[in-house]
Amino acid sequence: MRWHFILSIVGILLFFLGLCMVFPLFFGLYYKDQSVIPLLKAMGITLVAGLSLIVCFRSAKVDYISHREGMAIVAIGWTAIGLFGAFPFYLGSEFGTFIDAFFESVSGFTTTGSSILTNIEGVSKGLLFWRSFIQWLGGMGIIVLSVAILPFLGVGGMQLYKAEVPSPVPDKLKPRIRDTAMILWKVYALISLAEVLFLMFGGMDLYDALCHTFTTMPTGGFSTKNTSIAHYNSVYLDTVFIFFMVLAGINFSLHYQFLRGKPLAFWRDSECRFFLGAVLVLTGIVSINIYGSVYETLGQALRFGSFQVVSIVTTTGYATADYELWPAMSQIILILCMFLGASAGSTGGGMKCLRVMLYFKYCYKELFSLIHPHAVKHIKIGGKSVPEDVMRSVLGFMGLYIGLFAFSSVLIASMGVDFMTSIAAVAATIGNIGPGLGMVGPADNFAHIPYLGKWVLIWCMLLGRLEIYTVIILLVPEFWRK
Amino acid sequence: MKIIIVGAGEVGFNIASHLAFENKDVVVIDNNPVAIRHVSDNLDVQVLNGSGSSPVVLKQAGIKEADILLAVTDSDETNLVACLVANIISPTTKKLARIRSADYDEYHDTFRDHTPHIDTLINPEIEVVKTIHRIMNVPGAVDVDDFAEGRVKFVGIHLDKSARLAGVRLSEISAKIGKKIPLIAAVIRDEELIIPRGNDRLLAGDLVYFISEKDNYLDSLAIFDKQVEPIGSVLIIGGGNIGFRLANLLEEKAVLTKIIEKDPDRCAQLAERLSKAVILHGDGSDQGLLREENIQNMDVVITLTDDEETNILTSLLAKRMGAAKTITKISKVSYLPLMSMIGLEQVVSPRLSAVNTILQHIRRGKVISAKSIKNEQAEIMEAVALETSDIVGKPIKKINIPKGALITGIIRNDNVIIPSGESVIEPNDRIIIFSTRQAIPKIEKILAVKLEYF
Repeated sequence: MRWHFILSIVGILLFFLGLCMVFPLFFGLYYKDQSVIPLLKAMGITLVAGLSLIVCFRSAKVDYISHREGMAIVAIGWTAIGLFGAFPFYLGSEFGTFIDAFFESVSGFTTTGSSILTNIEGVSKGLLFWRSFIQWLGGMGIIVLSVAILPFLGVGGMQLYKAEVPSPVPDKLKPRIRDTAMILWKVYALISLAEVLFLMFGGMDLYDALCHTFTTMPTGGFSTKNTSIAHYNSVYLDTVFIFFMVLAGINFSLHYQFLRGKPLAFWRDSECRFFLGAVLVLTGIVSINIYGSVYETLGQALRFGSFQVVSIVTTTGYATADYELWPAMSQIILILCMFLGASAGSTGGGMKCLRVMLYFKYCYKELFSLIHPHAVKHIKIGGKSVPEDVMRSVLGFMGLYIGLFAFSSVLIASMGVDFMTSIAAVAATIGNIGPGLGMVGPADNFAHIPYLGKWVLIWCMLLGRLEIYTVIILLVPEFWRK
Repeated sequence: MKIIIVGAGEVGFNIASHLAFENKDVVVIDNNPVAIRHVSDNLDVQVLNGSGSSPVVLKQAGIKEADILLAVTDSDETNLVACLVANIISPTTKKLARIRSADYDEYHDTFRDHTPHIDTLINPEIEVVKTIHRIMNVPGAVDVDDFAEGRVKFVGIHLDKSARLAGVRLSEISAKIGKKIPLIAAVIRDEELIIPRGNDRLLAGDLVYFISEKDNYLDSLAIFDKQVEPIGSVLIIGGGNIGFRLANLLEEKAVLTKIIEKDPDRCAQLAERLSKAVILHGDGSDQGLLREENIQNMDVVITLTDDEETNILTSLLAKRMGAAKTITKISKVSYLPLMSMIGLEQVVSPRLSAVNTILQHIRRGKVISAKSIKNEQAEIMEAVALETSDIVGKPIKKINIPKGALITGIIRNDNVIIPSGESVIEPNDRIIIFSTRQAIPKIEKILAVKLEYF
């Protein structure tokens, strides 16, 4: 472990983050609100911190990054980014204590979308823009972005990329990792641009369209309105959001293939089929369940049912209805959606469809082997065998995910939070969804979670975003041995 | 006619032996001295020790005068290179390459039309798989071959003791059955080929070859007291190339397939490439394993390991344990006479398949397909009657057909005609001819255009 080197890279990331604060500053200046001073201060602090790290830990030219260092850079880098990204909120004094600002910042970067704000519309426009913008940065990955635009990260780019986008079966779209990262960001930006246009066509002003796009595409879920998307009460906007949430929940390399002129790419990918199938089936079940009991007409049941299901399964976390008022069956399905999550290689969180598919196939294989003890059976995805080590890492992931979920729920409950809230808050943060159930439902917020509980949830959000291994590895003593 | 064969393995040896019997000039090239010795000890052919893809060796073998080059080693790459080199030295030689990998399947035409100009890519394994698939659902069938795009079937079946026709004279059959009977082309009795005449009787245990139109196929089988049975489940023992291709075919037809294979690495490969078949790691002769996999409920058990004796014994074991039917892969000709004696009637031989795939390419005249029947004593071929050949324009009885040959079908504008002595063959008709081995050179002569000598 070359700490000099790791810290200097973290310095570069922070410097980069500082530069990104220009964009909210621009909106702050345009609307002439009270966000300009805190943004300028935070920008100064972040730039100075970044620069001093770079200068203090200037190291000789490095021509490789080891696997271990890659994970350390990503884990430490994300924590530092979350921390410094919180300064505009903290200095702006609209977010309360430092832990609240930190919670909001990490919730943003990890695209969770859990908020401690009670009155969102009371916050200045510049800070709200920052709140949305950090979700956009975190969605495709701030380190992937750095790999794409900072040439000197190209060397160990693959290690960083794998640590930040730990898909079970990584796609490398181009021979060079830098080009791959660039393509992913271009596709991401292109779809975002399309969404801005669609939203503005539906009557949103540029500011709101940008803020919402920046939280749809990374499946983040922050809104600039107190009542989230329900504020607009428009079937057109609901449809646009559903469409783009689904897009964001699909593997971005498929979008790339589609744009390259392979229209069947989505259909050929078995994970994508599984994801879209799950969305349709779950929407159907939930809509039928709430039809009659909550909504008078089938159209309404479909409209609100599909929006909530898509919002939760893609781990976005927008709301157009308070699903806590729905029948228990729908609520349980939504909780399960939190665990399922979106596709691997998308901006969504959760366990990922691919892992769940592999897990079920593994279970079937075990049952099959009981019937045919001599059978040699491979687990296949899209006709290709899944290597043994990938399968092991998936099983390990599932175990750790459930284990950490259980452990964190107990921790939260031990602080006096009620049963439903503890479970839902952890499920919603470790899956990067946003709203949960109980006291943290779509109509509530996370402000009342105890101080220590917020730390636990911050930890859960980072675990979820970096898909467990990159973060949990820091706790393994072996990791620190020379 | 001069033919160079690259590769003295199973396929090369069998083709060489078949061609040598027809008095063709054959040169066999192989870089394995043991295989070469085996060829020169057993066959009347010229041999050459060296790499078949080497231009020097090919020149030495006389590629410039050769009519046909057959590259049939086990390695696709060697075969392709041999053809490529031959194309450079002697562009007029017809080149045939044996390609085993399925990856090349869609490029066969490209190879013919573009630079290497390999006229045909042949794969005997595909032929074996097709044969197994065709005989699978006819109990007692030894051979089922398609001619004229499947409109005409050529079938060889064993006559059971209980069959109505056992002991009946040929001339009396239609009276006994009461309807038109298919044309019986040949009977093999005690390993002797007989072209039966009206007075000859069919006996139980005979292997009867008959020709039938597709529409009458089921009726024809019924005359011999056989029915086509639907196949629901198949157990394949031995997951080699043939086993894999067969399983692949059966997967497409939604037949429940199990494969038993000894080699764990091969098992992993099969599991990777097949999606529905159940791959079992184990020994095919392990009774416990067979029982565990419900062998008594299997419709067909097919033994395809590389070892003849294992195949035979495993098939017998499977029959004893209750398998409805077995198909056994046998390459050694010397075992063939034993098979019906020990009760294994359905046998496939890669050797025969290899010969069949090659035959149609080396026959003179416009031969579309040619099949050799069991123990290679006779051949059936489908050919185009060229305008300039001797057979067109006159009644069949006036044609000087050599002894031992029989014109068994005429296909004209999609109609199948079973000819009588008065029938006249018109130019561009396709004819199906049955011929004993002795008569083949003469048949080739009457089929060929007078001026065409390759």
